[in-house]
Amino acid sequence: MAASINGVLEQTLQKSINSCKLLVVGAGGIGCELIKNLVLTGFHDVELIDLDTIDVSNLNRQFLFRKEHVGKSKAEVAKESALKFNPNANIVAYHDSIMGPEYGVDFFKRFALVMNALDNRAARNHVNRMCLAADIPLIESGTAGYLGQVTVIKKGLTECYECQPKPTQKSFPGCTIRNTPSEPIHCIVWAKHLFNQLFGEDDPDQDVSPDTEDPEAAGDAGEVALQSEAKESVAGGVARKSTRMWAQQSGYEPEKIFNKMFRDDIRYLLSMENLWKKRKAPLPLEWNNLPNTAQDGDHSAQLGGIRDQRVWSICECASVFAESLKLCKDQLMNSGDCGTLVWDKDDEPALNFVTSAANLRAHIFHIPLKSKFDVKSMAGNIIPAIATTNAIIAGLLVMEGLKILSGNIDKCKTVYLNRQPNPRKKLLVPCVLDKPNPKCYVCSEKPEVTVRLNTTTMTVHTLEEKIIKGSLGMVAPDVEIDDGKGTILISSEEGETEGNMGKILSEFGIRNGSRLKCDDFLQVYNLNINILHVEKLKEDKEFEVIGDIAELQAQASADNTGPDTNSQEDDDDDDDLIMEDEPTEITTPSRKRKANGASDADLSTKKLKRSIDANCQEDEDIVVL
Amino acid sequence: MLVTMVEQDSLTLTEDEAALYDRQIRLWGLDAQKRLRAAKVLLVGIGGLGAEVAKNIVLSGIKSLTILDHQQVTEAARCSQFLIDHTAHLGHNRALSSLERTQLLNPMVSVSADAADVADKPDDFFRSFDVICATCCSEQQLLRINDLCRANGSLFFAGDVFGYYGYMFADLNQHEFAEEVQQKVKAVADAGDGDGEPAAKRSKHSATETVTVKKTMTFTHLKDALTIDWTAEGMAKKAKKTPDTYFITRVLMEFCKVHKRAPRVSSLESDKEALTKLRHSLLTALAVDESLVPQDFVNFCFAELSPVCAVVGGVLGQEIIKAVSQRDAPHNNFFFYNGVNGSGMVDLLC
Repeated sequence: MAASINGVLEQTLQKSINSCKLLVVGAGGIGCELIKNLVLTGFHDVELIDLDTIDVSNLNRQFLFRKEHVGKSKAEVAKESALKFNPNANIVAYHDSIMGPEYGVDFFKRFALVMNALDNRAARNHVNRMCLAADIPLIESGTAGYLGQVTVIKKGLTECYECQPKPTQKSFPGCTIRNTPSEPIHCIVWAKHLFNQLFGEDDPDQDVSPDTEDPEAAGDAGEVALQSEAKESVAGGVARKSTRMWAQQSGYEPEKIFNKMFRDDIRYLLSMENLWKKRKAPLPLEWNNLPNTAQDGDHSAQLGGIRDQRVWSICECASVFAESLKLCKDQLMNSGDCGTLVWDKDDEPALNFVTSAANLRAHIFHIPLKSKFDVKSMAGNIIPAIATTNAIIAGLLVMEGLKILSGNIDKCKTVYLNRQPNPRKKLLVPCVLDKPNPKCYVCSEKPEVTVRLNTTTMTVHTLEEKIIKGSLGMVAPDVEIDDGKGTILISSEEGETEGNMGKILSEFGIRNGSRLKCDDFLQVYNLNINILHVEKLKEDKEFEVIGDIAELQAQASADNTGPDTNSQEDDDDDDDLIMEDEPTEITTPSRKRKANGASDADLSTKKLKRSIDANCQEDEDIVVL
Repeated sequence: MLVTMVEQDSLTLTEDEAALYDRQIRLWGLDAQKRLRAAKVLLVGIGGLGAEVAKNIVLSGIKSLTILDHQQVTEAARCSQFLIDHTAHLGHNRALSSLERTQLLNPMVSVSADAADVADKPDDFFRSFDVICATCCSEQQLLRINDLCRANGSLFFAGDVFGYYGYMFADLNQHEFAEEVQQKVKAVADAGDGDGEPAAKRSKHSATETVTVKKTMTFTHLKDALTIDWTAEGMAKKAKKTPDTYFITRVLMEFCKVHKRAPRVSSLESDKEALTKLRHSLLTALAVDESLVPQDFVNFCFAELSPVCAVVGGVLGQEIIKAVSQRDAPHNNFFFYNGVNGSGMVDLLC
């Protein structure tokens, strides 16, 4: 241990290493490397938290774990392995979520320094807020493939994790997914939605049936829809019943579901003639008359490849579809009356279902088919991860920590690891830490944010789950309307405002210009939300969070003058902010099923856990509609 | 062992391997993984940096690793050598003491240890390796191994860490590799053709596509980097732009040459004094400005600091993986890390 040998480190630094207490959040790719570095450097008072368990795909880089540890707690096993480097170290492991109510401000205040080795934005947002509230320096890190980044966050001195808006996840317009897919990813998103419609929690945004309101189809679709409403068997009529209910009534019969999804719905789409004037029209598939698409080359292509890298023929897709449908149905039945399945890339039937359904749809729309291996990457949003990048980033994390402990936090930098050196020969590129954004809706004096939404259609439930928790990162919010009466809209106490959830915002008098006062007790965080009412947002978005009014006005004037209003958003420059390390793996426990019934556990904890699940589910999705 | 592992079909990866290496195959592809699993690597010297390199390449799934080291486990190794059980092995051989934990990192890699001194190994010994990575070696041995690698057509890497400072060197001779480059694609001229997606609906494609091209890069021998004539025209300017860790490393290599060992904390004060003197004499001999090496470097160059080993060992490990898999442009020919000012630079010195 460097700090126990005189002469290796400067004396003041040696002293602080020997006496300080650290918190490491995450024992995954970066976490394993970090713990090793910390123990060897001489830190002997370290607490470590991670709610995940060990998976075989971790073992190529998370070197504190071995095959016999698969299924065990990452935090616990990491602790045991690290103790072998220094048996005298005092390491405390928590197999738990850092977003739990037991890790409040007082918990954070016990540490000299917090180091994040996380893989998802929800937990990063939360730890950021906890460190701001506790006024403890935070070192943040992330890797993606060959790239990595380390940065330092200190209240009042630097930008916080949320000072700059992060690029939002790529999303696709509903009509592209439902009516006119043109890329494999469109079919994969559709297949995941189909899975959720059949087995998951109901989400009206994930409709898989033809979208009759497609503006492009205007003219013919409405008419056809009206006609078909009379005939129950036609797509438009069936969709009204909800895919789930229809599937239950038909007993999840593969042939029936196949023919509805891949024949009848496609025929219905074909009737929306405007869509196919410039596009190649889709070709419906018939369960009893599948085309033979098996290629002679298939077997030679398989030679030397991985089994899952082979692309299936249409007949294979159909049989995998039927087989996985049955397995998923069985899982659903076993989960009890009101149970639902949560799509998980590591669950074989769930992955098989999405792979086969996506490929069947791709075939129909003349889109290239994808192997199960590729579908897993795209549907599961897998960010590849390697030992070397994690090792480098964990090393840099400790180096920044040493500066802080030497009293030189002003010398800390954001450091990027590049794939190739820049023109100034730098492979590691240090950048000066930015000052806090005075308008940041998290770390500024009076946090404030503006949200555009439709107050006459949005429910309180959507406001809480998708905006206040999902987008604004609160975990247990209390929301009050600033209407002079102090109307409570949402309470963090279980059951208090349950009745409000299904109601529409306008029922509470919320309209354009209304103001909501949000308070998260755990995060010691107050936020005012200004509501801007709009009838409809671009690309079917439900809401839009805007930093501040000035920004909004600037944008509005740009919109008026610019020839292409879309060009500002959504461009493919996601290289500059990479803070994702295997986004599915730390906050997603292997909990596949959510039984909505029995609940004797502590209610508020349970509610919290569910909201965490909801958050990481979003992280997992490559696209959210 | 009675039954040796059946020589695996070099064409196919088992499902176990596919599961274990899933996340990296998604990054560097199946071909790269197959090349890795055929690579026989010799690691000379297993101190802190050597341990990092061993960990990184064993995890990646090479065919075999031979650890060669005649030195003993010392107290200073506790700063960074995590492959040794320090409660049991003080005074034991470093290679043998590291064997068990290295093997546990990946049972699919064949790991062996050799307690001999690299200087005693005949030239023939080095012939059976595809890659040789030399750490904790004398300058003389580094140059010898580099020679042998050139003669045998194997890939040569060297590196060391001194406290906050570390470097990595590569001589891949004539190296062929595949690289993905972005090529501009002609934009679809009018909306009349193509897939018929209206502009507003079309997901925004970037106007580039990725193509794989074959490239060649030429490296030089380590001796060229150690015999640069800094008095030649324009070289004074180049010296200023050269990462200071190069000159710091030269001073430390000079120390090792003179004292037959690295600086150590048990003789802290006298070693610091000797280093200060060597800074003056070596830089004078090289005819470069003495200020190129900061005066206080003697306070930061003892033992091997774990996070510094992690950074240098991460870069070195990735360079080995890159070279073996013949994917992506390698760093030609040095990487320098200075943990005092945080700089991590790639530079071509010859």
